[in-house]
Amino acid sequence: MELELRAKLLIYERFATTGSRPSVDDIAARLGATLPQVREVFRRLREARVLVLEADGESIRMAPPFSGIPTQHRATAAGVSYYANCAWDALGIPAALRRPATVHSRCEQSLEPLELTVSERGPEASGWLFHCVVPAARWWDDIVFT
Amino acid sequence: MLFFRSEEHVRAWCAATGYPLRPLVRMDQLWELARAWYATRLQPESRRPQPSEMRQIFGSLGLTGGFWDPQSDEFGG
Repeated sequence: MELELRAKLLIYERFATTGSRPSVDDIAARLGATLPQVREVFRRLREARVLVLEADGESIRMAPPFSGIPTQHRATAAGVSYYANCAWDALGIPAALRRPATVHSRCEQSLEPLELTVSERGPEASGWLFHCVVPAARWWDDIVFT
Repeated sequence: MLFFRSEEHVRAWCAATGYPLRPLVRMDQLWELARAWYATRLQPESRRPQPSEMRQIFGSLGLTGGFWDPQSDEFGG
């Protein structure tokens, strides 16, 4: 298996099992690779839109649906808490884990909390809505804003 | 990409922020989008949907028009 794919799987495994991002050092140790090799792999994964990195070029900001930093969108599953990048990704976490979860977020207008139970078949009946101001063709122009 | 309690809350937020009102997505539709994007994300064979697949996924959920077209330059939809 090529280094890039192995790194990607390890990154996602870390997020899925702990809810937090791995560092370049963590991935290098798991792969038996050098730090420059792993930094280059992170760069290629960013180009492929698999990862979004922080300004330092190596800290993982996003491995969608997981967020490497705290956000207002969270999911809890099997006792693990995960941050999501956005409302879409908040549902993406139970979809990726294939595990029941509770999604925690808020109404952006009223700040009323949202607590949504999601089973393996999907979310409970809810009248809440999802809204995105950025058209699909522009999502990656500024994915953090999107 | 945000959650809102109701359409009235979305409209109030758009009026307050100046952002345009875009097509609203129900929670059951959002779940199908989340599954389409992420159900295999932890698997070796996973990959992001390509534009043609995105159109098919959006269309199957009734999400049509320029806003949902990943290659459109018209966003009125």
